[in-house]
Amino acid sequence: MPAFRHEVLVVGSGAGGAMAAYTLAKAGHKVLMLEAGRDYDPKTETPMFQTNGEAPLMGASTRDKNFGFYDATVDGGWQVPHEPYTTASNSEFLWWRARMLGGRTNHWGRYSLRFSEHDFKGKSRDGLGADWPFEYQDIAPWYDKTEELVGVCGTNTGLDDMPPSPEGILQPPPQPRIPELLVAAAAKKHGIPVAPMHRAVLTRPKDDRAACFYATPCGRGCSIGAAFQTTTSLIPMARATGNLQVITQAMVKSVDVDDNGRVVGVTYVDKHSVEEHKLTARVVILAASACESARILLNSKSRKFPKGLANSSGQVGRNLMDSTGAYLGALIPALKGRPRYNEDGHTANHLFIPWWGHKMQEKGDLDFPRGYHFEISNGFSQPGAWVGGNLQGYGPALKQDVRDHYGAYVGFALRGEMLPNPGAYMEIDDKVQDKWGIPVPKFHFRWSENELRQVEHGLKTARLLLETMGATVGDVPAAEKAISKGGEIIHEVGTTRMGSSASDSVTNQWGQTWDCDNLFVMDGGVFASNPHKNCTLTIMTLTMRNATWLAGQLDKGML
Amino acid sequence: MTEQQHSHHYQSGMTRRESLKWLGLLVASSTVSMVSGCGDWTHTAQSGAGHWPDLKLAPITARGYGQDPNLLIPPESPWPKTLTAAQLELVAILSDIIVPREGSVPSASQVHVPDVIDEWVSAPYSVQQQDRVTLLHALAWIDDEATLRFNANFAALDPQQQLAIVDDIAYDNEHTAEPFRQIAGAFGRLRSLVLAAFFCSPVGTRDIGYMGNVPIAGDYPGPSDEARAHLEEVLADLGLSDCAYSG
Ligand SMILES: Cc1cc2nc3c(=O)[nH]c(=O)nc-3n(C[C@H](O)[C@H](O)[C@H](O)COP(=O)(O)OP(=O)(O)OC[C@H]3O[C@@H](n4cnc5c(N)ncnc54)[C@H](O)[C@@H]3O)c2cc1C
Ligand code: SF4
Repeated sequence: MPAFRHEVLVVGSGAGGAMAAYTLAKAGHKVLMLEAGRDYDPKTETPMFQTNGEAPLMGASTRDKNFGFYDATVDGGWQVPHEPYTTASNSEFLWWRARMLGGRTNHWGRYSLRFSEHDFKGKSRDGLGADWPFEYQDIAPWYDKTEELVGVCGTNTGLDDMPPSPEGILQPPPQPRIPELLVAAAAKKHGIPVAPMHRAVLTRPKDDRAACFYATPCGRGCSIGAAFQTTTSLIPMARATGNLQVITQAMVKSVDVDDNGRVVGVTYVDKHSVEEHKLTARVVILAASACESARILLNSKSRKFPKGLANSSGQVGRNLMDSTGAYLGALIPALKGRPRYNEDGHTANHLFIPWWGHKMQEKGDLDFPRGYHFEISNGFSQPGAWVGGNLQGYGPALKQDVRDHYGAYVGFALRGEMLPNPGAYMEIDDKVQDKWGIPVPKFHFRWSENELRQVEHGLKTARLLLETMGATVGDVPAAEKAISKGGEIIHEVGTTRMGSSASDSVTNQWGQTWDCDNLFVMDGGVFASNPHKNCTLTIMTLTMRNATWLAGQLDKGML
Repeated sequence: MTEQQHSHHYQSGMTRRESLKWLGLLVASSTVSMVSGCGDWTHTAQSGAGHWPDLKLAPITARGYGQDPNLLIPPESPWPKTLTAAQLELVAILSDIIVPREGSVPSASQVHVPDVIDEWVSAPYSVQQQDRVTLLHALAWIDDEATLRFNANFAALDPQQQLAIVDDIAYDNEHTAEPFRQIAGAFGRLRSLVLAAFFCSPVGTRDIGYMGNVPIAGDYPGPSDEARAHLEEVLADLGLSDCAYSG
């Protein structure tokens, strides 16, 4: 094999890392990717049609497989073997990781909503949090390109929270299901819109990837490549250019600098031999996920950078944001015993409730800033360990009861924007190291009144909709009780935020750190705010834009 | 889950056999007052209820399947099963009371539900270990109850005698008599697991009417005509016909 001489090191192979590697490789730059997890091939490893009944414990979640036996996550979940993290007293934070090629893109929900013009300039509007260093128009063409490459189904709705894609970009969404149609009618009665969800799922074939065949839950991964994951798309496509090589089981410990403070490469631990190696490169891109990238920077201390690398602003690890989450569901009596049909579809929301409150907020009618959306849980899904519910009696009458209740529940899962607050951040716990000798993150987390009032509004709205569908709901729980734990929604971002000034941000709008011009961050860490529209499409879009800019810089010999 | 497994220890320091004899004596009287660890309560003695077995269960020490198991060929027996032959038999009888054979649809035990329950209660995970405590106490209670009422194990009773006991414990609601509250909760957990194991079997999955997990060529067809017609009725009943979704 001829020697492969890389220019760029990319740390991580998830949404950010794979898009960075793909973009650079396509532009003719040689990339070496380091991934802490094992190699992983969805084509040969995905349990597609295996049933819950064939799995241990009917597929139920356990300590080992937190989202069920068949979930694609390898060596991860709320805990990674031998890689602990800590939380400050009085804080609760959950940190979901996966240790595998492709990272969490192998099992993410694929909900892929564009941020809108409101989202990039929230501070200009309501004075809270931080603005992004660019506007929606600047990133819109990159959303177009990313949606095209990734493959997103959905429609242009004309709603103010859902900016349109150019004609021909979105693939047709699947038909709505019965409970979704009922929700849509109930919502319409109250002036609340319901729209086709945008999902990174192919409904038309693309490249080497087949169209969805409307069976098999996407959280297991998708062996036919219909559900987007980097291991069936960006990584093989980048490898095919000859410009990408990947080292798996390579846990990056720190970014190395020379005496002048210039980044020269990284130090990583080979997990097989547990030995440290150093690699040099012209440019280093961190895309290990928001909190891992911040951790690497904070652990990269040198004489020149005693507070950690790229941290002259003191913002590395700060501004930690997740999405808010809350859930309210109920039995809909009118749906009991409803006619059966195949309701799998693409196994996630065909319809959802986008944020409808921008106008109300402008008028000052709401007592909280920023928005949320509802994902709808419903349907005749494959029976699992909890299908029996909590019914009474025994015998044929009981069985009939189970059949009647099956598919008759509807639930609303709120996902909302969190604003940064000074009590939500991560730092390094000097007292605890992982198996590889790397100090671990320590999380501090709290919600503010903004999030609690938003959740309160959401719960009331969900109750209204359930009651409109004929359900008996009763009192809704208090927002403090109902709101998710920090990190639980797995949209953690902001820990290396971008901005327009080196004094209060870690990178510029290109993800280039203010302190080291050949060091970039290309994951959710760079988010200046965390809009309710799930983060990953924007991670990929920003990465495509910024890696393209970086390729231009390299071409010009700038770095 | 809300059941309090240890709230009704009726006596400590006695062997199980001794305790049963003692309870047997109580059965002879009419209404008695008993003192338990958590307060006084009375019960109707004919039932023999109000007892709760005091089992010392050895902890499950097996390992789990780990964070990177083979998903294509799931392990057939991921950990050693722990139910005794007698417990399995009792589970089978109860399973078939909960899910009996109906026409051509087999009963729970005919689709190996007891094996699934055995795997469940033998698993080294917290939910399952909790269920193990609940279920093993429930099984012991049911045999104790059978002994107190009919002087034989549950398995040896005739179907009418079995149902007499099950009728007392299969409803966990505001009408449940105090002495049956705890066992009704525990039986409810068994019921949920039996139902799950049955409906997760190929036969049960058909019985519940799940029609997915089959690949579709071309676009997803959406609801059937029958399902759409039903939705229209539902919308009409709820006064929502004018709000029907139009895309
Ligand atoms: C169940 C679930 C559902 C989700 N649903 C959605 C959704 O519907 N929509 C949405 O937008 N988002 C969703 N997300 C979030 C989404 O998965 C993440 O936002 C996205 O994967 C983040 O991409 P990333 O590249 O930053 O990190 P990851 O995808 O986590 O990839 C990071 C990679 O870096 C590797 N790595 C970490 N540290 C090191 C190190 N020190 N050295 C080398 N490599 C390292 C990791 O092993 C990993 O492979 C979901 C997440 C989960 C878990
Ligand atoms: S539902 Fe469709 S996209 Fe999802 S895993 Fe199955 S085939 Fe793939």
